[in-house]
Amino acid sequence: MADVHPLQVKRLSKRFPRKRGLGSVQAVSDLSFAVRQGEIVGFIGHNGAGKTTTIKCLLGLLKPSEGSISLWGYTPASRKVRARIGYIPENPDYDDSFSPMEYLSMFASMRGLSGDDKSWLKLLKRVGLSSWETTGIRQFSKGMRQRMSLAIALQSNPDLLVLDEPTGGLDPMARKEFREIIIEENKRGASVFLSSHILSDVETICHRAVILSRGKLVTEGSMKELLGGENLYRIVVISRKTGEEIEEIIPEADLQSRIDSLRRDNLPIVKVEMALKSLEDVFLSAAGGESK
Amino acid sequence: MKTVFTFSLMTLRMLARRRTLWGILIVIFLALVGISSVPSFDVGNQGRFILDFGLFGIEVGALLLALGLASNLYPRDRETRSLMPLLAVPLARWQYLLGRFFGAALVQAAALIVTCLGLMLILLFHELPIPADLLPATLLIIVEGWFLLSTVFFFSFIASPPLNWPLTTMLFVVSQMSVSEFVGIMPSAPGFMRFVRLLLPHADVFHIKDPIAHGFEIEPVYFIIAIFYGLCYAAFMLSLALALFRGRDIK
Repeated sequence: MADVHPLQVKRLSKRFPRKRGLGSVQAVSDLSFAVRQGEIVGFIGHNGAGKTTTIKCLLGLLKPSEGSISLWGYTPASRKVRARIGYIPENPDYDDSFSPMEYLSMFASMRGLSGDDKSWLKLLKRVGLSSWETTGIRQFSKGMRQRMSLAIALQSNPDLLVLDEPTGGLDPMARKEFREIIIEENKRGASVFLSSHILSDVETICHRAVILSRGKLVTEGSMKELLGGENLYRIVVISRKTGEEIEEIIPEADLQSRIDSLRRDNLPIVKVEMALKSLEDVFLSAAGGESK
Repeated sequence: MKTVFTFSLMTLRMLARRRTLWGILIVIFLALVGISSVPSFDVGNQGRFILDFGLFGIEVGALLLALGLASNLYPRDRETRSLMPLLAVPLARWQYLLGRFFGAALVQAAALIVTCLGLMLILLFHELPIPADLLPATLLIIVEGWFLLSTVFFFSFIASPPLNWPLTTMLFVVSQMSVSEFVGIMPSAPGFMRFVRLLLPHADVFHIKDPIAHGFEIEPVYFIIAIFYGLCYAAFMLSLALALFRGRDIK
């Protein structure tokens, strides 16, 4: 089989019909990317960019309007490949009359896993729910439900983790623990597809990132490629009107011309220094204009 | 089928922990106790009265249980997003539908058996004989309950829970009508109305309360045919529900 990436999306488009049949809304348009074996790929985009729609398409919850999705060469409908996936939905919720232990046991039975209560206790401990194993989920906070989701996703030792905003609403400590678990899973051999708004998380743990805006791919590449492109410089000048310091980030190519223009305008330059580029800068410059 | 079985048990446990089930059971019991306390003209009439209205109460209980247990299952799963982790990984859509149906059907059957036992206790309390066909009659009501449950599942894929109640109740009422009663709704088109009635379910086949109350014997083959009919119709309604569910985007 030629195409054996854990995830390969080719020219994916998804349209939703508007209510009362008045045309359609294009949620995702002509999107192509891949997650290679052993990679952690970040999936970034503003609200409504089409991230969750893409994820639902690759899990078979939505039917693509056009294009194809392959998971290790199979379609998302295949039972074979679904057994190899761990999934955390955005804002997960579960029937709150059950406890985490009950949920894990039932999910294990439905998935044909051979683990016992001991192994589920160990798993709950790993995600930070060790003292809550028999407590009803109705008493859980949002963060605890996220942890519960992570436990269910990790239960089958998946080959591909699909994470839709997994750290949204978590405190910094919990986010750090989440990141560590994702890295551990990646070291075990799992590929990870991580959709997130928290760009610092993506920057810290991802090998590559795919940036989406209005349903279209705007850029993709390794972190090195994305962050290590053209150098950026920070110029600090004093405003003539207010007397306050104003900061500008300028690409290296435009630096000299900008300094010349500031000098022509007699604006006092306080500082010129190299600015470290963050994923946020890349995202804002790639998708910022598109999202307006 | 192990997956469906596990998911059915999960549904069963979930429904048994909800207040809806216990609320409906209390309503049915209060109705049975109310029926038994209605004064009668003589001892012979009282037994008939309790059996006739008691079985009617259990039948209405089957409708209430079907609606109370199942009308909100799929919409709630969708609304709370608990459907996504289920369908994304361990369950195929048909397994979800069957698991939810079997779980609800087991809870409904258990509840109806309990109400039948309640009716028996009331008969014993009044020192009245328990007819031999009471349990088979309850079995027919259980099958009718499953048919109603499958109807509720079907409507839950095309209508909201508040709309599901009147739609299912309407079908329940129509399914009790004889052909002549149904033609009477629109006497100007008798052929068309007969054809429509033929397609609609015939829940009247599940009603043997009158013969039981009057002490008539019922042929065992009648039970078998009625049960077969009920199960086939339930399977038909579930197939329609699955056809709707399969093509649906889970947004």
